[in-house]
Amino acid sequence: MQHMELLKHRDKINELLARYGVRFGIYKNNTFKEQLFPFDSIPRIIEHEEFTCLEKGLKQRVMALNLFLKDIYGKKQILKDGIVPEDFIFASSGYMAECEGIVPPQNIYSHISGIDLVKGKDGKWYILEDNLRVPSGASYPMIARELCRRSSPGTFHDNHIEDNRNYAELLRRTMDYVNAGGHTVILTPGRYNAAYFEHSYLAEKTGAHLVTGSELTVENDMLYYISANGAKERVGAVYRRISDEYMDPMIFNPESLIGIPHIFEVYRKGNVALINAPGNGVADDKGIYYFVPQMIRYYLNEEPILSNAPTYLPFYEKDMKYVMEHFDELVIKDVAEAGGYGVVFGSSMTKPQKMEFKDLIKRESRRFIAQEVIDFQDLDILDDGEIVQRKADLRAFVLMADEPLVWKSGLTRFSRNMDSFIVNSSQGGGFKDTWVLYQ
Amino acid sequence: MSILNFTYKMEIGYEKDVGKCHFTIKCIPKEDARQQLLEMELSIFPQTSYCFGEDSFGNRQLYGSESEPHKQFVFEISGRVKIIQTDFEEQAREENVGIFRFPYGKCVAGPGLIKYFHSLGPSGYTEAYDICMDVMHRLHKDFSYKPGITNFNTTAEEAWSLAGGVCQDYAHIYIALLRMYKIPARYVCGLMIGEGASHAWVEALCENRWVPFDPTNDCRVLNDYIKLGHGRDASDCAINRGLMWNGGAQSQKISVSVWEQK
Repeated sequence: MQHMELLKHRDKINELLARYGVRFGIYKNNTFKEQLFPFDSIPRIIEHEEFTCLEKGLKQRVMALNLFLKDIYGKKQILKDGIVPEDFIFASSGYMAECEGIVPPQNIYSHISGIDLVKGKDGKWYILEDNLRVPSGASYPMIARELCRRSSPGTFHDNHIEDNRNYAELLRRTMDYVNAGGHTVILTPGRYNAAYFEHSYLAEKTGAHLVTGSELTVENDMLYYISANGAKERVGAVYRRISDEYMDPMIFNPESLIGIPHIFEVYRKGNVALINAPGNGVADDKGIYYFVPQMIRYYLNEEPILSNAPTYLPFYEKDMKYVMEHFDELVIKDVAEAGGYGVVFGSSMTKPQKMEFKDLIKRESRRFIAQEVIDFQDLDILDDGEIVQRKADLRAFVLMADEPLVWKSGLTRFSRNMDSFIVNSSQGGGFKDTWVLYQ
Repeated sequence: MSILNFTYKMEIGYEKDVGKCHFTIKCIPKEDARQQLLEMELSIFPQTSYCFGEDSFGNRQLYGSESEPHKQFVFEISGRVKIIQTDFEEQAREENVGIFRFPYGKCVAGPGLIKYFHSLGPSGYTEAYDICMDVMHRLHKDFSYKPGITNFNTTAEEAWSLAGGVCQDYAHIYIALLRMYKIPARYVCGLMIGEGASHAWVEALCENRWVPFDPTNDCRVLNDYIKLGHGRDASDCAINRGLMWNGGAQSQKISVSVWEQK
């Protein structure tokens, strides 16, 4: 086995991860709890050819999503041509009218995309969802690999594993490409944020300043960083790790203390790049997911290389009928929820629950999507000295600079419980390194 | 055609010093098929630098910050607007219509408004313009002008349950109703002859044109109105949005006058 050597180091690596502060925090019942993100040292291995195909498909998907965002906040041709119904745009909570007519630097909206995939038992990869609103998670496989490499250098010498240390370089290239003049900063809400470890780690690796909102200020349509000695230096790109509604209290949530008043005006005038662009939620909502394959055909005139999980929109009468008749075979997702919440399996409901839920879908057809349950492959996990099987997904990172770049690694997350299909880190579970092999 | 002179003055007084403030003001008349800004003059106290721009609805705005302590904030604008006699505000651009078709913000109908909508029944008219007139007349009968019981944050549904309110509430309810009739409608903030404060009305899409209606006065918008801005609801085109630190209690005084130049 290529990774046997690593198994011995599992506990040591977890200990180091804990010491480096590799945790994630979650809000549950209004209290903030930080927990470790357990690392399993058996890597997920993706063969060269398989990844080459994934890479093509991911680039294609992210190109189409970027063109869609440009279209939606501009001419809206895809709506005029009737490919996507207006309901899925203007009634979507991810759509932000405030972004209408804004052209971001280099026309890039989704600079960093986290595309979640699963591999079915049929050996085929399926897209689970697109994350275009500052997706997190790249730092976990980066640091895990670093520690693995340290514990067992031979493993990485003997196997043909693509080096994943270039993520920082890819990110830097992506940020520099859209920089409107001045420094590049990473904006964090602060150390109580779930992904703070990642913010500081990426800042260190890319050489960007790690800043909080109070260190940035707007003056005469420009954004400035106020350094410790009081000097003002222009900022041209902000990799912001805070969500849209907290960015600018003058436009969005007025209660936001972590944002920068008037930053939106600087952005509107093209004097700063916001990474990722605000308003991207309109393209990664579970309802719009259904339309991504059509977007690829529409904008790129190509057939989609990667498949969606078969999805039904009760919004369409034909699909509604199918959903009602095949309720037990489907998983129903609330479009507005994220992080593994609002997901129910038809088969797991009692009869009265089903009745009630079906009525809800009929009343609020736009609110739900239904998907075939994909029987995805289990991965081996080492649990208390025993090899067990768990469901796992893969978050692939696609960066958009002068061309789309796919990171030859990714975040493999697995579920905590044997029978759980939900692998989101805010629901427990752990992660693995992802090895992409070269020839 | 007519020429309107206008002045708008907002004075905010604070009990204690404001350490720092940020402001965004949308109070410069729009230019469209109906109106043309001939001249204007504006001032802000405390004297600070500010920048001009346009928001995503094409409303003109200015924004700025003041970091010196101050107990008073005054904004004043005056100018002259040429009003061109026309039935509509502007030709609608298709890509800018969808956004005004769906329930949003303060114009989301709740159970009360939905019930009222059903009680109105299907309109006997087929043309959007006739439906707008019909609904406006009926709303005017069923809702009363009552200052003081609603505020800037009141939603259409809340105002409806109180059975009374001011121009903003009329506009919100009217928009919620029109959107239920599948007529895209948008909120307009502006000034008019005879009002001591800003006024609100509605533009509805009729035959691909944005046609203004004033539900508070149950009439079409004629020569005595100056449009400042529009949006999905009042928040999108609020004249003043501010953020300040400290200051304590505040008092606000707004004076508006609009008069025709003979």
